[in-house]
Amino acid sequence: MAVVQDELSLIFGALADPTRRAILERLVRDGDATVNQLAAPFAMTQQAISKHLQVLERARLITRGRAAQARPCAVDAERFDSAADWIERNRQLWADRHDRLAAHLRRLRGAHD
Amino acid sequence: MIEIDAFEYRRIHRGSPELLFACLTTPEHLTHFWGPEGTTTPLDGIVVDLRPGGVFATTMVNDHDGSTYTMRAVYVAIDRPHRLVWTEPSGMVTTITFVDLADGRTEVITHQAHVPEAYRDPRARAGFATSLYRFAAYAAALPS
Repeated sequence: MAVVQDELSLIFGALADPTRRAILERLVRDGDATVNQLAAPFAMTQQAISKHLQVLERARLITRGRAAQARPCAVDAERFDSAADWIERNRQLWADRHDRLAAHLRRLRGAHD
Repeated sequence: MIEIDAFEYRRIHRGSPELLFACLTTPEHLTHFWGPEGTTTPLDGIVVDLRPGGVFATTMVNDHDGSTYTMRAVYVAIDRPHRLVWTEPSGMVTTITFVDLADGRTEVITHQAHVPEAYRDPRARAGFATSLYRFAAYAAALPS
């Protein structure tokens, strides 16, 4: 597929939903699970949960078994961390940059006062 | 569903929008603050061709080993002193907005859209749970 798809935005979009974050937390805490197992704690149809899983799978935050009928879900922690790290590092970059800009502005004021 | 296809950073500075706009578009200013921690951005490594389609390039020099990294962007829109937009080859679009707070201060809002996968860094790895909470906090802080 020759798509220039913004992967990070897919990840962000997938993580923007509280149900999908809860599903991920469950997979991290308890390990791989089937759709039935994942749907149990939620007041949602299996169909609704399946849709959420599709979004997570498209963002490649989870992988799903192909062989078994139940297609158990597993989390891709590395991919998830990489997106979170980008946000953290980019925030730090701009914060530092603005700290230095503020210092630069102080120097300019000092030179003119 | 909220689309989190964006990054935003806000900061209020003392100074007029004109001064802040000048700081972000003048090599003599940029050289004082642009490069990330641990780098310097020498004056002769900064290109500012302030017009739509013009180049905005900065070469950052690592303080420790002297290695260099050049960010090469192209200006898309220039609305002095209100707004500045540039794109990078990765597809990321950076928009800087200067809001006059009418009390001698200016809020500078940096907005980045289409943040690319290329910015993922395999080096720094935090724990998965930590990441999840950071993400939740990030999502909560977004304007709805």
